[in-house]
Amino acid sequence: MHEYAITESILEIIQTEATRAGAIHVDEVTVVIGELTSFVDDSIRFYFDELAQGTVAEGASLKFQKLEARATCNSCGADFRPRNAFFSCPECRSAVFELRQGQELFIESIDVSQAEPTDIREN
Amino acid sequence: MKIEVKKNIMATNSSVAAGNRQRLAEHGVCMLNLMASPGAGKTSVIMKAIEGTRDRLKLAVIEGDIASEIDSLAIEAMDIPAIQINTGGSCHLTAAMVSTALDHLDLDSLDLIIIENVGNLVCPAEFDLGESTRMVIASVAEGHDKPYKYPMIFREVDAILVNKIDLLAHCDFDLAQFHQVVQGLNPAAPVIELSCRDSYGTDEWCQWLEATAIGSRLDLTS
Ligand SMILES: Nc1nc2c(ncn2[C@@H]2O[C@H](COP(=O)(O)OP(=O)(O)OP(=O)(O)O)[C@@H](O)[C@H]2O)c(=O)[nH]1
Ligand SMILES: [Mg+2]
Ligand SMILES: [Zn+2]
Repeated sequence: MHEYAITESILEIIQTEATRAGAIHVDEVTVVIGELTSFVDDSIRFYFDELAQGTVAEGASLKFQKLEARATCNSCGADFRPRNAFFSCPECRSAVFELRQGQELFIESIDVSQAEPTDIREN
Repeated sequence: MKIEVKKNIMATNSSVAAGNRQRLAEHGVCMLNLMASPGAGKTSVIMKAIEGTRDRLKLAVIEGDIASEIDSLAIEAMDIPAIQINTGGSCHLTAAMVSTALDHLDLDSLDLIIIENVGNLVCPAEFDLGESTRMVIASVAEGHDKPYKYPMIFREVDAILVNKIDLLAHCDFDLAQFHQVVQGLNPAAPVIELSCRDSYGTDEWCQWLEATAIGSRLDLTS
């Protein structure tokens, strides 16, 4: 359910970016999700299709890229990929680690269509 | 045309949360974000905290609920300021909702604000509210498997309460196993066992709370 709020933020960001670029349509949005977050991509897609109606992003396709988790062990300094919150260090078995990557949620890029070249103002 | 965006989707919430944190620091107020499943005993635990610390701490409560004012009325009946936030269907509080609630409190007169987050173990963990301390309550009635199912929230809190200890004899809750799992996930967090029914453990809970409120005030003002 918190995907609704997330989707509103996504739309807000891409509308700002599209306006700045003078885009007439957003065709594709690439969202990066850390593999240890609880965000459900299908659910974001569901809300997006609904909320994007009547905006510059109506009908845009949403692409999700999973970002793998990376952690540093607090005991031995090993760098590893915790598959879930229960993971322990593969070198020394310590369960105490610093999660450096895997909880992100950001918009990587958007693909936009711009107006015909004659409409683009110099600047 | 492709445009690199690289913008954090949670950025708006995070910056409002940072604003709340700053504001509370300026007033030397500790804020506790209390999270749990529906019915785990959030309101009961808050009421025990009020009874046990009200001579020493000036408290206020922010009540987050999808609908209804039942919980905030219960707190107000104890003569403690309570601000109700109805999220209107949303499963978590946001930093902006808490910011509005803070507008309604006299921060200069307070030591501690306890937020009862919406009953849910997934969404609230993703939203920073600007709190100084985060806590989760598990209850004996829910079973000891909660940390397996919702490991992230148990990993990210500063303390864990196990409520409804009086029900141990009636449930198959394995307390030793619960401690073991939680210890693996979050070795630094104290685990406090209590019962709001017979007041077992409420002294420990209140002592921890008081130390946290005073400790965070020292941190904030140093
Ligand atoms: N046996 C027993 N019952 C408890 C205890 N603590 C709370 N309860 C009962 O559990 C029920 C829910 O308690 P609340 O404090 O309302 O729980 P909550 O988490 O605030 O619930 P919501 O706000 O509805 O999500 C109530 O009937 C309480 O009386 C306890 O320690 N032991
Ligand atoms: Mg309640
Ligand atoms: Zn290690």
